[in-house]
Amino acid sequence: MVSDTKVKRSLPQGVGQFTPKWMLFTVVAVIVLIAGIAAYLYEASQGMIVTGMANTGTQGGVTWGLYVVMVEYFIGVSLAGIVLASFAKVFRVKALRPISRLAVLLTVCSLLVGVLAILIDLGKPIRGIINMLLYVRPQSPFFGTFMLVAVGVLLTSLLYLYLDGRRDAAYLADIDSGLRWYHRLWAMGYKDTATERLRHRRTMFWLSIFVVPLVIIALSTEGLVFGIQVGRPGWFGSLQGPDFLVLAAASGLANLIVLTAIVRKVLRDDYILIEHTVFNWMGGLLLAATAAALYFQIVELFTLLYATPGNERQLADALLRGPYAWIFWLQLALLTFGLVLLILQGVRRRWSVGVSVVASVAISTSAVAERYLTVIPSQTHGMMLPYAPGSYFPTWVEFTVVAGLFALGALLIGLFIKVFPIVPLNGMKADQEVLVDA
Amino acid sequence: MTKYAMAVDLDRCQGCRGCMTACKVENNTVEGNFWMYVFRFEQGTYPDTEMSFLPRPCQHCDNAPCVKVCPVGARFHRDDGIVLTDADRCIGCRYCELACPYGVNYFNWQKPENAQYTIVDWQDDSLDPVTGGLVPPYKNPDLDQLWGEEQRRTAGGGHDKGVMEKCTFCVHRVEKGLDPACVETCPTDALVFGNVDDPDSPVSQYLREHQTWQLLDEAGTRPSVFYIGGSPPSREVTEIERPKATV
Ligand code: SF4
Ligand code: SF4
Repeated sequence: MVSDTKVKRSLPQGVGQFTPKWMLFTVVAVIVLIAGIAAYLYEASQGMIVTGMANTGTQGGVTWGLYVVMVEYFIGVSLAGIVLASFAKVFRVKALRPISRLAVLLTVCSLLVGVLAILIDLGKPIRGIINMLLYVRPQSPFFGTFMLVAVGVLLTSLLYLYLDGRRDAAYLADIDSGLRWYHRLWAMGYKDTATERLRHRRTMFWLSIFVVPLVIIALSTEGLVFGIQVGRPGWFGSLQGPDFLVLAAASGLANLIVLTAIVRKVLRDDYILIEHTVFNWMGGLLLAATAAALYFQIVELFTLLYATPGNERQLADALLRGPYAWIFWLQLALLTFGLVLLILQGVRRRWSVGVSVVASVAISTSAVAERYLTVIPSQTHGMMLPYAPGSYFPTWVEFTVVAGLFALGALLIGLFIKVFPIVPLNGMKADQEVLVDA
Repeated sequence: MTKYAMAVDLDRCQGCRGCMTACKVENNTVEGNFWMYVFRFEQGTYPDTEMSFLPRPCQHCDNAPCVKVCPVGARFHRDDGIVLTDADRCIGCRYCELACPYGVNYFNWQKPENAQYTIVDWQDDSLDPVTGGLVPPYKNPDLDQLWGEEQRRTAGGGHDKGVMEKCTFCVHRVEKGLDPACVETCPTDALVFGNVDDPDSPVSQYLREHQTWQLLDEAGTRPSVFYIGGSPPSREVTEIERPKATV
């Protein structure tokens, strides 16, 4: 009798199994996070005096320091995930389907962390949230940062993640497990009927189309924050937006590759779910993005070489042979190194996971350095009035808070993987099901 | 209509930095913050050197980049030309500081009480007859009041941790019909302040009688501060005698 036959299934992909290794990872991440929180609380009580920042001009400092560098980096990282997932959906790229959820998760987590970093950088964070809602001025590029990125893209990505997972959640909700309440909650109201499935597919299709321009517009404002400034050398220019996006795409893909490699490893027997072809895809895309980023860098390098005497020249000197030279040349070298590794793999048509990861780490590190060079030197060198040059070095408080932000991001991703299948289940249920007689 | 402006006569300025001190006393700004600042420049090589001075208050720009970028409208431009920061509105994002080409903005990185000048031990009882218990630190009560039509706390407030501040043209004095403290103090009358919409005001007369130039004209900020004599600072000058106090 049908009613007597119960489907007894276990949660797929190690969901709900909190292995010792995972526990170890979580404990370490929590410790780092707590250290970050403690450092921030210390900063909140003492004031931002405990950071390396100071006022520009007579105090010879930078007023935007490491936190803003990380805001730019994290928000940049968020670009690639959701765009890649949407691309896979709209053009039905089957090969990318297994990592689409991971991609959107990366977007959500890096945005969360990025937005948190903005709040951490404010002198009055609570008032910041309130006043941004009460008095927001769209004329300020911060409108883009707060409203478009924090509210618009973050909420849309969350919605995307939620809607895209409902079908899987409905399936998981049938499984008797400690996480059932959670899967039920996620699936709420979804029964996986044919009409529902169709409606869902359509919604996701249009959401995918809608989200791409939204992300591009919102994230361009991150570049505009600097691009509309006449008061500092090296900032004003129409290329800040595109430049930001290109490097954002590269750093996002790089992070996604590393994440995919890790997830593939921890999935153990399920690693076959993520086929090797995803690395070909992502490697190729990263190659394109990195090549474009390097192109921008080289154009910028030449512009710097020909900077006119005056404050632009002062900035150029500081970058090319002054206090920032080592960062400048290091980031260029890292980017080139990453690109060469990718090209070598591309020509041989053999994408090794290990080499891709090395290239990704190099490119991602280079992106942090590049964001640093965008934000910091224009504040210490080449002020429009002849103030003596300034300097900046982050303090342990800033480093600890930033480490805490990374830990938070890692923790969120690690936690998600244990409560929900990271590879979408669609079409693979049969493998997981074990029919037993009750 | 009233439109305030300041004339800075560099031919009269002797670089004494009296205005900087007056500003500090009036506005109780913390150590290392100079709402009014006087550059001391040196040019050439010994023995052919030349010194010059350049007082630098906030330029109270009519087309102020700092106002444009403020995400919450805390930095605003009054009809009479004074550019102010609402201490109750500012969220401390420091975007205005980046946008300003003149470097006049000062963020309060710590509790201002902890950063007042402490040459004197204010706890010393023997000071009581002099201070009347007003310290530490002495606070000009006017700074905490609401000013102008908008009735906003714009005179630097009580100096709050985590908000932005800068020269206010001494709005709390101007509202009472007084000159800003720096103008009042300058021993050589190098600073002249007043309403340029009134042709008879001293500043109007001064500006009529002299040729003027503006700082960083190329930035298109349309400052309310006009310079007379001297010359715009070139890239050849070196700043000497920077204040030692940082934050
Ligand atoms: S000088 Fe700077 S702070 Fe003052 S009004 Fe102009 S842009 Fe704003
Ligand atoms: S620091 Fe305050 S006044 Fe300046 S832009 Fe931010 S909110 Fe506006």
